[in-house]
Amino acid sequence: MNMLIRSIVGLIILIVLLIVPHFLEFHHQDLLIFLTINVLVVASYRLVTLTGEWSLIHAVMMGVGGYTATLLFLNYELGMWFTLPTAGLLSAAVAALLCFPLLRMTQFYFLIGSFAAGEAIRLVWIQFLDPFGGTGGLSGVSPPMIGDIDFMDPIPYYYLALTVVSICLFLLYRIEKSRVGLTLHSVHWKAPLAESVGVDTWRYRALAFITGSFFVGIAGALKVHYIGTITPNQYGIGFMVFILIWVIVGGYNKFYGPIIGVIVLTMFDESIRGFDEIRPAIYGAVLILSILFLPLGLESIPGKLKAWFIGSEVVEPPLTDE
Amino acid sequence: MELILQSIINGLIQGGLYALFAVGLVMIFGVMGVVNFAHGELVMAGAYTIWYLHAQQGLGYLPTVVVAVVLVTLIGLLMERFLFRPTRNDPLAGLICSIGMLFILQVIATLIGGEGPSKQVPPVFQGTLVVFDFLRIPNQRIFALVISVAALVTLWYFLARTKLGWALRAVALDREASALQGININRISMIAIGVGAGMAGLAGALMAPLTNINPHMGHNVIITAFIVTIVGGVGSLSGAVLAAILYALFHTFMTVYFGGTIATISGLLLMVLVLIIKPTGIMGVRISE
Amino acid sequence: MPILEVKNVTKQFGGLTALDNISFHVDEGEIRGLIGPNGAGKSTMFKNIAGFYKPTSGDIHYQGQSISGRKPHQIAEMGIVRTFQETTLFQEMTVFENALVGCHTRARTDLFSAILGLDKQKQRQAADKVMEVLEFMGLSERRDQLASELPLGSQRALAISIALVSEPKLMLMDEPFAGMNPEETNHMMELTRKVRESGITIVLVEHDMKAVMGLCNYLTVLNFGQLLAQGTPEEVRSNDKVIEAYLGGAN
Ligand SMILES: Nc1ncnc2c1ncn2[C@@H]1O[C@H](COP(=O)(O)OP(=O)(O)OP(=O)(O)O)[C@@H](O)[C@H]1O
Ligand SMILES: [Mg+2]
Repeated sequence: MNMLIRSIVGLIILIVLLIVPHFLEFHHQDLLIFLTINVLVVASYRLVTLTGEWSLIHAVMMGVGGYTATLLFLNYELGMWFTLPTAGLLSAAVAALLCFPLLRMTQFYFLIGSFAAGEAIRLVWIQFLDPFGGTGGLSGVSPPMIGDIDFMDPIPYYYLALTVVSICLFLLYRIEKSRVGLTLHSVHWKAPLAESVGVDTWRYRALAFITGSFFVGIAGALKVHYIGTITPNQYGIGFMVFILIWVIVGGYNKFYGPIIGVIVLTMFDESIRGFDEIRPAIYGAVLILSILFLPLGLESIPGKLKAWFIGSEVVEPPLTDE
Repeated sequence: MELILQSIINGLIQGGLYALFAVGLVMIFGVMGVVNFAHGELVMAGAYTIWYLHAQQGLGYLPTVVVAVVLVTLIGLLMERFLFRPTRNDPLAGLICSIGMLFILQVIATLIGGEGPSKQVPPVFQGTLVVFDFLRIPNQRIFALVISVAALVTLWYFLARTKLGWALRAVALDREASALQGININRISMIAIGVGAGMAGLAGALMAPLTNINPHMGHNVIITAFIVTIVGGVGSLSGAVLAAILYALFHTFMTVYFGGTIATISGLLLMVLVLIIKPTGIMGVRISE
Repeated sequence: MPILEVKNVTKQFGGLTALDNISFHVDEGEIRGLIGPNGAGKSTMFKNIAGFYKPTSGDIHYQGQSISGRKPHQIAEMGIVRTFQETTLFQEMTVFENALVGCHTRARTDLFSAILGLDKQKQRQAADKVMEVLEFMGLSERRDQLASELPLGSQRALAISIALVSEPKLMLMDEPFAGMNPEETNHMMELTRKVRESGITIVLVEHDMKAVMGLCNYLTVLNFGQLLAQGTPEEVRSNDKVIEAYLGGAN
């Protein structure tokens, strides 16, 4: 029965996802593609945070993927089938190198360390005009043509992005629900206990960081192939903060929490399009209010309602361990 | 030789300003355990006050400096009361609230000053002090140096010689134990953030005539403050002051010889290096985990 | 044949010497009691053995091999597991998931087999092992409850289950009886004996003298970081230095 309901819900979601671009105007189709890509960004960030470390370098890792795809495309005319996985692998490789300095730190130190490392990478893009193009970045990347289908159009590109993102989400979900995911959780909640039964916490933190970077690298490549340009500022602390907001407002305790967050906030963002100047402040206020009044995010609302009606208590763990 | 001496002088003056805002960040982190990401925006708020009240509305510079300090102190107190106090047991939540605050302050600045190019405040103290014929120090910078040194010395006196300063240091060392000793944590937190924010506001007010003012100027400030804090040792005020001066010299020289971007990259790498080798910084003992 | 040999171990924290040149050894199949007043250095001894601290000087051998300086997870892999003085569990996980974490080294899995589902059989074996241990510790009824919802006795039993699932050869138990009522204590003593009978050597740190005297065949007594005495429970009970230390500590 449960299974049946699940399949029906899944089927409905699938149909909606497939037909939705046909009911949207051009500008919203664009947005839908960015939303699809951002879903992958937040889902991969969640993997990084599973071990309890909040990094501030995820946006830059996406940029690493984006620059990889751009350079491969511009210099070697390699198509997306090649740039996507390579972008992921290169992000993962950069993350692997960064593990050595960064994972010696935890908590506050990790946060600041990851911020510093990310800024350093971004400044390298700004400093070295060749090959990164400096502040102005690079442009001229285009999506593929397959036969008659021009992926420059939003609708085909949306289907392409949807396919890639769905596959990645499926993989991320499998990881989280596997014993590897359980071990990552265990590192978060009680690292010494995990160590005492043989978990190499360093390795698992590295695993989460590298794998998360792999997926966000793919997201970066997906994005640059659609918009065609890349600049260092697209992946600055500003975008990183958006990732944080999506994840926190959505709720980071469940796999789907951050995804809900990015979807709801993107729609919210559209609805305040008229107030461009004060948009960041509205975001700031939303962030503060959600931390103060809904610390477990939107995802926790159904549970709260249920508890309210049935009367059982919801336990609210703090954001970080003591 | 002349270039080197001139760079040393410039670096020292810069170092005084760095120390002003870094010390505030350290105090807030030490006493309240939260990383105030909006600290750069507090500096920005101080600078904007000068631009708006002094350069636009014609209020005298010195009175405006006082207004800037008071105003930014107030912003800090409000942040403590409404953001950091409710999230006290959860450092990450406090940090995220401060990010929210950062956006709000930037928007307020944009609303007041409009978009468009960076704003300039003309120097108040005209003239330049010339030493040995070749060292040129604008009076505006001398003023900034004198005031920042005076502020730091006052802070030192307050922390080292007064009862309140002692209580503040006690809380920074061990919050639970201090609470058990009957120290009012709320009050001490208010004082820490009040002083920290006030010094950030002062830094902004002193920097206003020396730099470009725009809503995003806080970004470079916070990066500098992080580097200084980490290199100096998280939670060590004297370490922060020392690191501020050293880093300002380092940054000035790197900028002269390699350009600003390379200077900042090397600063960031330096910081990561310190985090790896000695996470407690050059002067630090770890006071809170 | 000693399974564990502690050789001249000293551990200093700044100026404080928490362990001062301690040597003792534990034979296979023992339940060894490691006792002493508060602050004697018992937990510090455990942390040194389990790799959470590195001895300032001295050496620790396990099955004839030096282990001091290795990482906790490496030592756990070799078969030494430690339970914590404060009940330490993954509070947000179910009883079953808690114990499953203990399978980490015995039924290793990696990212790719996890994604592709290549190791179904291994996962089933791991689940079987977990259920066997939960059965053994009397927790199988509660397998889907959150750890945070368990009563104290069951929490302690779960902490031991996590350790047992990892199939250790030597278990370091830090005050498993603290805060228990007599009934729970009796039950836990029963369980501890069963663990020993299943072939696991135990070193027990405990203040509950009834439990210590009832379970241990041999005691090692620490006081202020010094090795005060060793012997059978009867010998230790009548040792003047021990009596004095405990009376002094009681003041
Ligand atoms: N990480 C540390 N840093 C500094 N001192 C420590 C540290 N860990 C333990 N100590 C000190 O070492 C001594 C021994 O502590 P330990 O926890 O081993 O005692 P114990 O015998 O387990 O006591 P109890 O029965 O109360 O658990 C104590 O004086 C303690 O304060
Ligand atoms: Mg102990």
